[in-house]
Amino acid sequence: MKEYMLIFLGADYITKGLSPEEMQGRMGKWFAWNQKMTEAGIHRGGHALQSEVRHVSGPDRTVTDRAGSEIKELVGGYYVIAAENMDAAMKVAEDYPDYDLGGTVEIREIMVFEQ
Amino acid sequence: MADEQKLIDHLFRHQHGRMVSILTRIFGLQHLEIIEDAVQDTFIKAIAAWRSGPPENPEAWLTLAAKNRTIDLFRKLKSDKERNELFERGTTSLALNEMFLDHEIADSQLRMIYTACHPLLDPRDQIAFALKTVAGFSQKEIASALLLKDETIKKRLTRARLAIKEKSISFEIPLGDQLKERTNRVLEVIYLLFNEGFHSAKKDMIVRKELCGEAMRLSKMMIDNPITCNPDVQALFALMCFHSARLDSKINDANEIIDLRLQDRSLWYFPLIVMGNDMMYKAVESEQFSAYHYEAAIACEHLKARTFDQTDWGSILAWYEQLQIIAPSPFNLLNMAVVELQLGEYEAAKRRLDTIDIESLGQRVYLYHGCVAQYHHKTGAREAAIREYDQAIKLVVNESEEQYLIKKRSQAMESPNMN
Repeated sequence: MKEYMLIFLGADYITKGLSPEEMQGRMGKWFAWNQKMTEAGIHRGGHALQSEVRHVSGPDRTVTDRAGSEIKELVGGYYVIAAENMDAAMKVAEDYPDYDLGGTVEIREIMVFEQ
Repeated sequence: MADEQKLIDHLFRHQHGRMVSILTRIFGLQHLEIIEDAVQDTFIKAIAAWRSGPPENPEAWLTLAAKNRTIDLFRKLKSDKERNELFERGTTSLALNEMFLDHEIADSQLRMIYTACHPLLDPRDQIAFALKTVAGFSQKEIASALLLKDETIKKRLTRARLAIKEKSISFEIPLGDQLKERTNRVLEVIYLLFNEGFHSAKKDMIVRKELCGEAMRLSKMMIDNPITCNPDVQALFALMCFHSARLDSKINDANEIIDLRLQDRSLWYFPLIVMGNDMMYKAVESEQFSAYHYEAAIACEHLKARTFDQTDWGSILAWYEQLQIIAPSPFNLLNMAVVELQLGEYEAAKRRLDTIDIESLGQRVYLYHGCVAQYHHKTGAREAAIREYDQAIKLVVNESEEQYLIKKRSQAMESPNMN
């Protein structure tokens, strides 16, 4: 089994004007997905991220506050899962709940180094 | 396993109503829009934080998040000129904590309902505003609940917010004479909300149940508060329990309204009938009865009958007579005529129908023609019956009721007299 990171980009809950009821429904989908992965024993971990973004870049360590960055570029969180191969990981990512809100899942295999 | 991960139905929606009300009480109505956005933020935060399952006490989690968000807001406002205003009101952290006690939360929500029903707000705007702020409906949800355009709701909400600001409406439950008057309006708005769910066609069962549920929840909140509780609220609550108990039998799978005569009475939901009965006992301790008392009495008579044929039409007619005295309406007259037809008092029914000014029935004038048709049908005047059914079918808007009338018409064609 390899490990893959599913990185969640975008998904805009704010400008879509979701109602509290719809947000609760959305939450139910996350629970369901999470539960499915847990039951399959492939859920390895993950986090949701706050929306505040600060970039440090360049030799001068230039700091940019990216509060106003494009929502679709924002990483909202990630999961680490176990999967046979990229195709299997892609299958898992199909259940990500926020495609309809402009969300994207980036799938990356986690590199393993020989000891 | 699955149960553990499930949140209480409508938790977010109800929590939205609670939080917006408390924060409005702390910061004032003039900040309503900022407050609604802030509350929205706490849900977004919850969705991220709860991805792998909700916390042990989701409600407490959300309340805490709202409280922290309040403090955030408070800090931001501190830099503004509003700071002084807030300090004058003595919003210390101690006072803030007290605002989040259960009874204060309920009090804040009642203030919101009473604010929504302020006489300076346009009556059309009141219901949309109440659904938004008290019930936590989104603009889109209000539009589909009231069968209006999104744009119309947006206008109404904006107009309500503007009126509140311009007319400096205060966030409180009025005292003295004003209390009675305002309470009456609040009850009207709640009943309108309920009827939108119960009677209006073209709604799916989920929307119906949500509207009826909200109306009942709001009136229950009024009952639980000694200042806003009175026999009228109790009677209205009982009335809504009685009606709601029939909701599942009133609509079929094709979302059509089923005539009382044909409803499957085994589908009536008994616990609601019991709850309504208990509340009715309290409501009738009053010396003066409201229209809600009589309407509840009528609804109760229908529930008492095990079959349609066992309905005590005589008692129902008597209740209608009382209702017509305190709240005269052409619809009462129409219903009385229907009852008289059931009692076989055809000529009395006809006399009653003749007193109705059909112009006053508005869109529901088809009900009148349906009733006149039934009179002719019962008295064997087949052609007149068919003519009136045609008229009713021409004027009816609601598709399922149209189907019902068409069925009735063909029955009239087949037999000169149904009985």
